Amino acid sequence: MRRLIALAALLCAFASHAQAPALVDGILTQLARHAQVRAAFTQSRENPALAQPQVSHGDLLFVVGRGMLWHTRNPFDDNLVLTTDGTSRLDAQGKLERVRDGNRGVSQVSAMLQSLLAGQSTEAMRQFSVTAEGSPERWTLRFVPRQARMARVLAGITLKGDAFLQSIEVDLANGERTHITFSDTRDAGPLTLLEAKVLGVP
Amino acid sequence: MRQAPTAVRAGLFAFAALAACVLCAWLLFGRGVSPLQTDLLTMLPATERHPLAEDAVERLAKSSGDRMVLLVGSADDGTAKDAARELGAALGGDPVFSSVIAELPPFDLEQLVTPFLPFRFHLLTAEDRAAIVAPGFDPVAALRRRLNEPFGANVGAKLTDDPFGWLQHWLDRQPWNRATLVPEDDLLVAHRGDGSHVLVIATLNGSSYDDTVQRQALAALAKAEKAMAAKHPDARLLRTGAIFYAAAARAGAERDTHVVGIASSLGIAALLLFVFRSVRPLLIAFVSTAIGVVGAIVATVLVFGQLHLPTLVFGAALLGEAVDYSIQYLCARANAGQAWNAARGVRQVRPALLLALATSLLGYALLALVPFPALRQMACFAIAGMTVACASVFWLLPVLAAKPARAPLAPSLVRLALGWQRIASGRHALAAIVVLALLALPGWLRLGHDDDIHLLISPPKSLEAQTAAIRDIAGFGGGSQFWLVEGKDAEQVLQREEALTDRLRRWRDDGKLSGWTGVSTMLPSMKRQQANLAAVSDVFCGTAPARESDDAGTPAVIAGKCRGKVRSAMLTAGFKAEAADAYEATFPGRALTLDDWLKTPVYTPFHYLWMSGEHGTGSIVLPQGQDDVNLLRTATEGLPGVSLIDKPAGISLLFGRYRGYADIWLGAALALVGLAFAWRYGPRAAWRVLLPPAAGIVFSVAALGYLDQPLTLFHIMALMLVLGVGANYAVFLREGEPHAAHVPGAAYAGVLLSAVTALLSFGLLALSTMPALRHFGLTLLLGIGFTALLAPVSVPAPKKSNA
Repeated sequence: MRRLIALAALLCAFASHAQAPALVDGILTQLARHAQVRAAFTQSRENPALAQPQVSHGDLLFVVGRGMLWHTRNPFDDNLVLTTDGTSRLDAQGKLERVRDGNRGVSQVSAMLQSLLAGQSTEAMRQFSVTAEGSPERWTLRFVPRQARMARVLAGITLKGDAFLQSIEVDLANGERTHITFSDTRDAGPLTLLEAKVLGVP
Repeated sequence: MRQAPTAVRAGLFAFAALAACVLCAWLLFGRGVSPLQTDLLTMLPATERHPLAEDAVERLAKSSGDRMVLLVGSADDGTAKDAARELGAALGGDPVFSSVIAELPPFDLEQLVTPFLPFRFHLLTAEDRAAIVAPGFDPVAALRRRLNEPFGANVGAKLTDDPFGWLQHWLDRQPWNRATLVPEDDLLVAHRGDGSHVLVIATLNGSSYDDTVQRQALAALAKAEKAMAAKHPDARLLRTGAIFYAAAARAGAERDTHVVGIASSLGIAALLLFVFRSVRPLLIAFVSTAIGVVGAIVATVLVFGQLHLPTLVFGAALLGEAVDYSIQYLCARANAGQAWNAARGVRQVRPALLLALATSLLGYALLALVPFPALRQMACFAIAGMTVACASVFWLLPVLAAKPARAPLAPSLVRLALGWQRIASGRHALAAIVVLALLALPGWLRLGHDDDIHLLISPPKSLEAQTAAIRDIAGFGGGSQFWLVEGKDAEQVLQREEALTDRLRRWRDDGKLSGWTGVSTMLPSMKRQQANLAAVSDVFCGTAPARESDDAGTPAVIAGKCRGKVRSAMLTAGFKAEAADAYEATFPGRALTLDDWLKTPVYTPFHYLWMSGEHGTGSIVLPQGQDDVNLLRTATEGLPGVSLIDKPAGISLLFGRYRGYADIWLGAALALVGLAFAWRYGPRAAWRVLLPPAAGIVFSVAALGYLDQPLTLFHIMALMLVLGVGANYAVFLREGEPHAAHVPGAAYAGVLLSAVTALLSFGLLALSTMPALRHFGLTLLLGIGFTALLAPVSVPAPKKSNA
């Protein structure tokens, strides 16, 4: 998840260099050290149509330039592989199946994060204006869509962290709010054979 | 005593010629619209068995029709965008464009969702349909899964309108969502490794093939491009569109016409001046030829309504053949010396000219039999031109050349002719021909063939490269290969298209294809929409209604009795009661009809895929990411009403077939000319007159073989002309010899003169930019050369007494 931050930070570095170069540089340096990260996540979604927030737990693996394994364990078990090529589902037998009807929003956000991590921050920069506040020890990055058309749907994305990325918040204009918090963020260590295979890590 | 009628006839002819000139000028320049057709597609023959298929080909060609598709690229995103905006503004200011789209008009993403809400229960992706009808489908689990998708940045249908995501999935498959271009900063942008590319579309205020529009639009673009290059040196401009192809074709043809026309005119003028040693014969020859060309243009435009570019170039080359008739007449005049009588001169050359004209016309008439617009037009042009030029010799020239020639033919040419005639006649010449024929054999064996469409249409490489680059980057651009689906009505067409796309879906999963664009992706057949509704009804009802029911009345039963299941699933998954109630109340909506599809604005750009009219009902399915025609063709196996249309292959096939026929025609023409000769000269002498053109053809083909030139339809067409022209030479020599007995070699000198003028003009076609004309020119160069050199065998050797 630090990766995410690093991405965002990279983004920042370009987009709002004048605003807080020192802060952005600090966050960058802090976060840019880890190429493979594991974390546990809790995702909570609020929507005016929902009686109570939807909450899911699981863990994830992020590999720079390759993609992300998003393993939801509760309230159901679902292992998604998000790469730049699209979304696939990994079943219990280790079989990978392409999710053709994947949520475009998911793959777009994931692709944006991945391209940021791979050093291609331009993609995210083009789509968002970024503001940074706080200090390298406790910071907030806020992404607001540059385009009015997009802004009518997506109110903004907020990333928070200290030494690591701690949370992502996605706010939609219709009142839907998705809040993801990360814990137990750490270097991934060696990948399992299956992980390496599905993410295409040599 | 014949003086008066001759003068009257000449006067009438001159008047007619003047009238033709005026008509010609009006046809070419006086009507506001140039009759010059720069759309190369129009000169191709119909290749498809079915008129609907031809319609489809034309639709596709026109779908990118009267627009310039421009892509402004730069390694720097900002530069690309600024340059594109400025380019758009610069072009937009020019009235030659009716609209220029660089910046998108403001629109709401809602517009891409709201129109589809009434139909949502009838529209499912194949994957969703399969998932829903699979045993054990659990609506609660499906909802939970969707509600807990990572990040949840769901842009599109609202959660309450589409809790399962079915509509969103379906919308994601719509063509506008698959384009590689994304809206960004109000521009349509594609990002690639080498930078950003911004799309600018300039719609012409007129046709791409309109001369004036073409010039103005290209000038405007050149100016804007120059300004762009000055301000953003690292921005690149890629372009495609019919207008660029038309302009390239026109430029090529103009260049060819100038080169061939001017060079051959100058060459012929110099030659005539040298041979006749006087200006008058030169002027006479040119007047006769010019009248011929004017007559040809008038006849062609009157018959066809337009002039193809190749016809124009070919016409320029025809000068060299049309001038033959006047040359024969002028040679007779020069040879007659002071004894010249214009009327007698006409009578003297008339049999030769008529026979020559007949053989030429025979050759061109055979050309006209090919159901191929470009060739037919050339034939019409030639037939009219030759006839008029010949008539001018009979009716106009006697007055213009009434006085005897001031000088005989250039003695050096006559000496040269006589020298060669001695070498190339008699028994030893026949023996030499036999030896040469043996030498020709290996050449024949080396012959390959080539029927590629690029013979006729060969746009500049850089334009092709830009078109390919735009197809690569922006994901669109005309393809000439596609599937055509036909049926008796819309429903059948859609069902048949679905049978095809079901197969293509498996292909895509196997990686054989990256995708396709077809109507059924946007408008499923009623049968499929009913199946979709039936599948959704399972979720709402829990009991499967009659699956194959085509009765749209069933949903009432479903809607009335089955409430509750989806509601409870939504409540269990965490939705509020009012959200569940609202969703349930919208079921079942109604089916999307062809009418709805036609009226939905976002589908307007795809209307060209749907065909309905006098030639029947059908649809076009465009493959993406696969251009192996044989593979694409296998997709149609066993599917009724589905066929692969491949226009270039169709043309190539046709070229090949006519190439086969052409051999037979050539043989038949040879036989016909032989018969004409036998009638005129008797069977014993006829073969000698026929020998030069026949041997000329044999040797030319062998030479092509040795030159490693694959044989094309156009080579064979040219050989027919070699037969026609070559027969002329043998005839001129045979007929002219008795009248020029007092000047040995003079008759052959006249033939050589004709041959050199023909070589000058047809030979220059070998420099044409169009491969077809190049082949034409080369073959004529070889064929006429050989025939002229061999012509002396048609008469007894000059040493012996003349018959």
